[in-house]
Amino acid sequence: MSLSQEQVKHVARLARIRLESEDAARMTVHLDAVLEYMTQLNELNTDDIDPTMHVIPLTMPLRDDQVRTSLPVEEALKNAPDRRDNMFGVPRIMDGGDR
Amino acid sequence: MAIHEFGVRELADRIRAKELSAGEAVAAIFDRIDKTEPIIQAFLHLDPEYARRRAKVIDQLSAEELQHLPLAGVPIAVKDNMTTISMPTTAGSKILKGFMSPYNATVVDRLEAAGAIIVGKTNLDEFAMGSSTEHSAYHITRNPWDTNRVPGGSSGGSAAAVAARMVPAALGSDTGGSIRQPASYCGVTGLKPTYGRVSRYGLIAFASSLDQIGPLTRNVEDARLLYEVIAGHDPLDATSLPQTVESGRPSLPDWRDVRIGVPKEYDGEGIAPRVQARYHEVLALLQEQGAQLVELSLPHTRYAIATYYLVAPAEASSNLSRFDGVRYGFRAESNELLPMYERTRAEGFGSEVTRRILLGTHALSAGYYDAYYLKAQKVRTLIRRDFELAFGQVDVILAPTTPDIAFQFGEKSQDPLQMYLSDVYTVTANLAGIPGISTPAGLIGGVPVGIQWLGAALQETRLLEIAQAFEHLWPAQPWPSVGGDL
Repeated sequence: MSLSQEQVKHVARLARIRLESEDAARMTVHLDAVLEYMTQLNELNTDDIDPTMHVIPLTMPLRDDQVRTSLPVEEALKNAPDRRDNMFGVPRIMDGGDR
Repeated sequence: MAIHEFGVRELADRIRAKELSAGEAVAAIFDRIDKTEPIIQAFLHLDPEYARRRAKVIDQLSAEELQHLPLAGVPIAVKDNMTTISMPTTAGSKILKGFMSPYNATVVDRLEAAGAIIVGKTNLDEFAMGSSTEHSAYHITRNPWDTNRVPGGSSGGSAAAVAARMVPAALGSDTGGSIRQPASYCGVTGLKPTYGRVSRYGLIAFASSLDQIGPLTRNVEDARLLYEVIAGHDPLDATSLPQTVESGRPSLPDWRDVRIGVPKEYDGEGIAPRVQARYHEVLALLQEQGAQLVELSLPHTRYAIATYYLVAPAEASSNLSRFDGVRYGFRAESNELLPMYERTRAEGFGSEVTRRILLGTHALSAGYYDAYYLKAQKVRTLIRRDFELAFGQVDVILAPTTPDIAFQFGEKSQDPLQMYLSDVYTVTANLAGIPGISTPAGLIGGVPVGIQWLGAALQETRLLEIAQAFEHLWPAQPWPSVGGDL
């Protein structure tokens, strides 16, 4: 096995997804099989190949800087799980939590 | 013929001629949905009230005004990963349960401006990640031809709704085959346009360098009608192409003028013998008609799945980071920020989405980026070049859409790699950015199978003409008996 459960837990922390131990074990098995399959790409020498970043050539489109109406605050906030006045509420960030 | 059996063109013609009202069309469609939806479960949301209101607006227009509406009064379903102001948009995920978008996707605005009536939002694998619609957080969707089988995915709800004749057309999205594969499994026509042809503004992003919206319909002409409405430049999508979209009457090709590429990599390892036999039957028929079959090689095809399943999850892991429980959607309670994020995402995402986010995060993480993501993007260049070379020799490439017919529920859902491998014939078009269309090629044991036509970038018009000519050679089968009306 090339991928350890510790690595999967590390990746889950990076991705901000809480993984219970049994899920981490199951994910490790699945991801290891998939990554094992991916190793076949190493059969190809790609040293002189440019990566495809844009599949259809397109120059960066620019537009005039115009003043336009934007999404009303009311609309932007209507799906927020914790709305506070005209802001998105989040749990307290400083001092280790609590509101 | 009952109203629900009419296609897009047939309905729009009658409504424009005022032989049929949009109100009658909507009523007939909802009668049909009432009968079949309990069996098929193609929809996540239906809005008959909204559809009736829209129909009234259409029916108040003059005959002259209706002439300008290519989709006058045509009921259409939209995959639930495209935003709608009037209906919820969930992307099949618990994390977006009840989400009401403040704006319409450009495709939704364009459909409505063309006179179409959005009747509901169709089921999908969560965030369009899957090949069976079994990964929807809400419910499964059944294949109208055999309700023990999956409709394919991720646009399984759209394909099933069209096949069951609940709607004449639906929109899907295709990141690695999610329009073409369910079209094949459900016996309908599904078009993935060139990358950038159709605006993705309002499409909930899965893999931004691959995603493309397209139509699912019961014939090629209807696919073209929808394509012409939704394609074209949109300033709201920076990847949207500026090239004009051709429209007008198609001129069907003489097969003697068509050079068809037959790639050997799509005709061997991994294909079910019954599908291979049908593919050969189709090729023989085309040759009989005078088409020139050109054997060719797309040598990097065997690396396509590995490439796709690095690129797509990497981009998905980045795109899905926005679902953090702050601005919209579900939030798990916690009085600290980090645990709130981690619990929200653990409880809000299903296992397939989690798996792909982890895979993508790993592929992009320090120390692995070069070995995985960058490597895959380089192999992608090789896959793209294979097609560029091929389209120097042929007008179109013909391949199977899927290695086999629709599988049964649960058959592949326990083994992610097996599920991924079933996308082998469709992911290449997304990696190369080229258009592809799956059209029906009859039934195998009572279950449909499709074949796939691939064209050079921006050559949708030619591709659609060729596919339509094939439809004359191989007319679609009778439609599945569902809801007790056949």
